[in-house]
Amino acid sequence: MTAVAPPSPSGPASAGAAPPAGKDPDGAVAEAGAGRARRGLTPYWLLLPAGLWLAVFFVAPLFYQASTSVQSGSLEEGFRVTWQFSNYTDALGTYGEHFVRSFCYAAVATALCLFIGYPLAYMIALRAGRWRNLVLVMVIAPFFTSFLIRTLAWKTILSDGGPVVGALSSLHILDVTHWLGLTADDRVLATPLAVVCGLTYNFLPFMILPLYSSLERIDTSLLEAARDLYAKPSTTFRKVTFPLSLPGVVAGTLLTFIPASGDYINAQLLGSPSEQMVGNAIQKQFLNVLDYPTAAAMSFILMALILLMVSVYMRKAGTEELV
Amino acid sequence: MTITLSGITKTFGDFTAVHPLDLTVPEGSFFALLGASGCGKTTTLRMIAGLEEPTSGTILLGDDDITHLPPHKRPVNTVFQNYALFPHLDVSENIAFGLRRRGVKSVSKQVAEMLDLVQLGDMARRKPRQLSGGQQQRVALARALINRPQVLLLDEPLGALDLKLRRQMQLELKRIQTEVGITFVHVTHDQEEAMTMADSVAVMYGGRVEQLGPPAELYENPRSTFVANFLGTSNLIEAQVVSGATAESDELRLRTVGDDTALRLPAARCAVEGVEEGAKVLVGVRPEKISLTHTDGPDTASESVAEGAPAPAGVPAGVPEGHNRLTGRITDASYLGVSWQYLIETPACSELTVYEQNVARDSRLTPGAHVVLHWRPEHTFALDAAQDAAAGEEAI
Repeated sequence: MTAVAPPSPSGPASAGAAPPAGKDPDGAVAEAGAGRARRGLTPYWLLLPAGLWLAVFFVAPLFYQASTSVQSGSLEEGFRVTWQFSNYTDALGTYGEHFVRSFCYAAVATALCLFIGYPLAYMIALRAGRWRNLVLVMVIAPFFTSFLIRTLAWKTILSDGGPVVGALSSLHILDVTHWLGLTADDRVLATPLAVVCGLTYNFLPFMILPLYSSLERIDTSLLEAARDLYAKPSTTFRKVTFPLSLPGVVAGTLLTFIPASGDYINAQLLGSPSEQMVGNAIQKQFLNVLDYPTAAAMSFILMALILLMVSVYMRKAGTEELV
Repeated sequence: MTITLSGITKTFGDFTAVHPLDLTVPEGSFFALLGASGCGKTTTLRMIAGLEEPTSGTILLGDDDITHLPPHKRPVNTVFQNYALFPHLDVSENIAFGLRRRGVKSVSKQVAEMLDLVQLGDMARRKPRQLSGGQQQRVALARALINRPQVLLLDEPLGALDLKLRRQMQLELKRIQTEVGITFVHVTHDQEEAMTMADSVAVMYGGRVEQLGPPAELYENPRSTFVANFLGTSNLIEAQVVSGATAESDELRLRTVGDDTALRLPAARCAVEGVEEGAKVLVGVRPEKISLTHTDGPDTASESVAEGAPAPAGVPAGVPEGHNRLTGRITDASYLGVSWQYLIETPACSELTVYEQNVARDSRLTPGAHVVLHWRPEHTFALDAAQDAAAGEEAI
């Protein structure tokens, strides 16, 4: 997979996950035995901070969460592990709709990101010339403002009587989206359209950056070779450029789809109760209902479903064949 | 098919990569564009391929004007410098790429033929990165040749290979060219490669064609100091014309500027048009054309330099009459295997290089020994002294 490191919660962990290969330079032969032993251990010492981080902040909570998910009881009486697997079936039964909605919204947002992001990444990588760095900075610029603020800004943009609603309405696009069930009552806010727009906007850089990095690495002489071998510009794109950018497509879609499926901010701020995603449901169970076992079970279901979908997708995309 | 470039130029911003260039590559020939990096040879090739648009001028393929045709519409294919094999396709799909783009349905037979031609039959399902440099080079060649192009362009195709493999591939390329009979235009900075493979060579320098001709002609009778130095090594000696060609003799008579030694050469081998008495020229001779004869000291040899026919009395034993002669002292001798390389200091020219075949070597030829250098007048050439005598030397 392409190695663009987006700012993500696992940042510190992934930084340590790739230790320097334990190579044995020739100079080591002349070194004393102690020096050689120390050098042999160096990679492990370097792994230690990341390992500790992962153990404390990932493995331990995961186990704690797993145990919570099979507990029963209430906040007043306390929760005990009773191997109550019905937590899982109950969660699926009650919130199945939320899961489906989450994956649908995430999938649509990912597809939109790909359609918007690919041409942009292509232009930056292959056509921007000396403007390349400026455009890249503009792609990353939104990160200088908090996620929450940006989403709130969308609330203003899409608000009733705002410019977007007015424009869409006068162009009769709202009629189309209404017919598609994406909007209702001549408003955009608090509709599926708003949530998908928010998701698309917020995760677009995560699509563009890996796409850019894989497009940028394509040897332009390959494109010349294709043209030389009777490929029209469109065929060159279809047969050479796009297949060679697949690692970026896979990385970008994963970096967009995974966080988008678990997102709850966009649905919270831009949607109504009928656009609630699974993230909202989990949040509600944890913080409002205080039903920890159900919340934990839902988290695990979400994680498992994402893992399943990602592994099927990775197998289909078959990117290990690519350079 | 014949390629005709007429008045082709290419400028990038305010840099002129190719000055007005007229070039005709005859059908079925193996044509080399030879020059140091930055001389415009690759740009010229890319303009023929259509990857670069000429700033002015026309390119004809046969009788068709292809100047503004996009690359995918030209019956011309290229073997790229880094091969540019598609990493996501296996060897046979790489080779079939051009045929598929032109809508050929069954490609397997032709691909198999091509794999045989380049001797890669058992590699068909490998990915390019699983092949060695030489194998990748042959895939690139097969990928271009399968389309039966009117012209095959090769952009430094052997540059990335090691010396031994390069020699082998040179012969192989030549064999394939003879077999398929397609016009090959080969860009290279390696003079040896150009000379081994090409029927004719255009030496380029600073965006211009310096000299064009069969390799032997370029080597034996260079017309500029750049060609003289870039193709092999040349000894260039400053001299002054004593008398031009006359009715009874077509020989030029010269005197070296350094020590007034008489030299002769056929007038046809002088690159300067209509030389007059007193004109300065650079006299050239290839190091392997020069023979060395040991003498006891500078005095015995220099007497021989008389006006006109040299006095037989002064000719040291073993120096044939009628040869051009210089005297000098060996400053350095190094053993190269097939030959010895001597550096010789002469009054006529500070340093001359001489290659002596490693057969029956005179053991007295050691640094410090006094020698007579002699060579046939017909191995001598003369160049315009107005040029930089060192042009092309450092380019190698």
